[in-house]
Amino acid sequence: MFFKINQGKFKEWLLALKNQGEVYIPTKENNLWVYALLERQEWPAYFLNTRIPVKNLFFPNRQALLSWKYEPGSMGMNSFVPEGKKRLIVGLRPCDSRSLQLLKPVFAGEYADIFYLKNLDRTILIGLACSQICPGSFCREMQVDPQDSADNDIFLRATPEGFVAKVITERGKGLLAQGFFAEAGENDWAAAAQEMPGRDALFDLEIVKANLNSFFAQEEFWQKVSAKCLNCGICTYLCPTCHCFDICDLRTPEKGVRFRCYDSCAFPNFTKMAVHNPRAEKWRRYRQRVSHKFNFFFQNFQAIACVGCGRCVNFCPVNLDLREILTAIH
Amino acid sequence: MEEKNIYQPHLMEIIKIIVETGDTKTFHIQFLDEKLRENFHYLAGQFGEYSVFGEGEATFCISSSPTRRGHLEFSVKKVGRVTQALHQLNEGDLIGFRGPYGNFFPLEKFKGKNLLFIGGGIGLAPLRSLINNVVDTRADYRDITILYGARTPQDLCFKYDLEAWSKDPSLQLVTTVDVGDKDWKGKVGLVPIVLEELQPSPQNAVAITCGPPIMIRYTLRALDKLGFAPDQVWTTLEMKMKCGLGKCGRCNIGPLYVCQDGPVFSLDEIQKFISDEF
Repeated sequence: MFFKINQGKFKEWLLALKNQGEVYIPTKENNLWVYALLERQEWPAYFLNTRIPVKNLFFPNRQALLSWKYEPGSMGMNSFVPEGKKRLIVGLRPCDSRSLQLLKPVFAGEYADIFYLKNLDRTILIGLACSQICPGSFCREMQVDPQDSADNDIFLRATPEGFVAKVITERGKGLLAQGFFAEAGENDWAAAAQEMPGRDALFDLEIVKANLNSFFAQEEFWQKVSAKCLNCGICTYLCPTCHCFDICDLRTPEKGVRFRCYDSCAFPNFTKMAVHNPRAEKWRRYRQRVSHKFNFFFQNFQAIACVGCGRCVNFCPVNLDLREILTAIH
Repeated sequence: MEEKNIYQPHLMEIIKIIVETGDTKTFHIQFLDEKLRENFHYLAGQFGEYSVFGEGEATFCISSSPTRRGHLEFSVKKVGRVTQALHQLNEGDLIGFRGPYGNFFPLEKFKGKNLLFIGGGIGLAPLRSLINNVVDTRADYRDITILYGARTPQDLCFKYDLEAWSKDPSLQLVTTVDVGDKDWKGKVGLVPIVLEELQPSPQNAVAITCGPPIMIRYTLRALDKLGFAPDQVWTTLEMKMKCGLGKCGRCNIGPLYVCQDGPVFSLDEIQKFISDEF
């Protein structure tokens, strides 16, 4: 089901969405793109993707889990209830929308993490087709289509006049039935597709997948490719699918909060125990990162934990390029 | 959607503290919630996340036997932030507990077999849960041998268990230390070497081992030399954990999460691991 809207109406629609819940749109803050609460800012004329992935709004770097307070002779404990307020994020890129769905099985299952799952449940995702390939990205190799996405409630394609919208879910459909949109057809949708600049695929994901097990034991390969890594962890902090976390306590003498925060497999103390550290060497940690995303995650959840957004490539301080490693494995 | 916060611990009171060695204590803890005291069930080999509020959580096995109900026991060597904080606590203090997590020793498979326990240092903690479990259901098993070693006689943990086991005519207990003293009556020598001297038969037997990684490594070699097949050998692996629920992403060995797929593994399974990172 397709609809279309012109630019003027689109801005009105965004404001009307505020009656539904908190609306987040791509916004430039401190010279960086983020998803910010819609207040007075304009819909951006041009943006590639946010620096920090949208996962941050679902799995924040600091999530309070519980608090406690000592009282004379006893102790009170208070579990933080995740927020239930409805929100809408407009302008998600297909890679980031995919990452939110990829993380779902990690947080679901026998031990359901309500913090993530509720955030996913309470958020309506309105994706936006890309107009350019981001620096460092390899989304198409990762089978993420920059022009289409089923991981949203509504998916938009920009046109010179406005947008063409594709309805994906029932709750998405509810948002378009408000008088702002006109009905559109398959042909409008197809006409709104933008030609993405071409380049030959760097690797075939299926071949990378097939080769990873045999590459795992090649210590020299991992030593070579990880040699310049600084263990700074920026690739994991900016990765839309990295989900490793630490649980920490913050306290004053009589009360405190237990929270979780991001942690990184790049850090030497990530696996450090009293007696030994199974990933004390850098090449083991880098191998873990690549193997977790492209091999172990697939074995556990039948999906690759990478969407090819290119943040790890683009923002690595030493230009360690994951694409080169995947191409070498290919 | 269910509202349960999986990271919320239960409050437990420390009802007894036993000083095991210069740096190791055993804590007996009891749920404040009386209903939980009744309804809490676990199996030997499982672990929990224990917390000192303000210092954080740490992972320890439940070292008491599921057959001995009423309270839980866990043993802690003072090495890091949380363990040091635990060592500062007194009887009557409250701690947090989440669990039980992980898999357990497959006791069904051990029935009717000769059991050989090989422990080193604080590694006796998970084994003692299992040993006391089989002692309490003794008729289900055949010969039981316990080999336990520590650096010095002062480093032996669970001396009260060792004493009880040594008095039990249905058990064979062998203790060894790396360095003895004038009062030491047990053996002197490293656990894997004493194990080879003991010459236990692999016939209808299973060996269960836990201890420092280096001890486990040489013990597995010794068991192989003695003719134990990989599917007759069981161990429990230690990995750094935070959530205990397969989410925080650090305790994996290849695609396996020690917190969910372990901590109990047969050597047969371990040999199939893609990675040696444990």
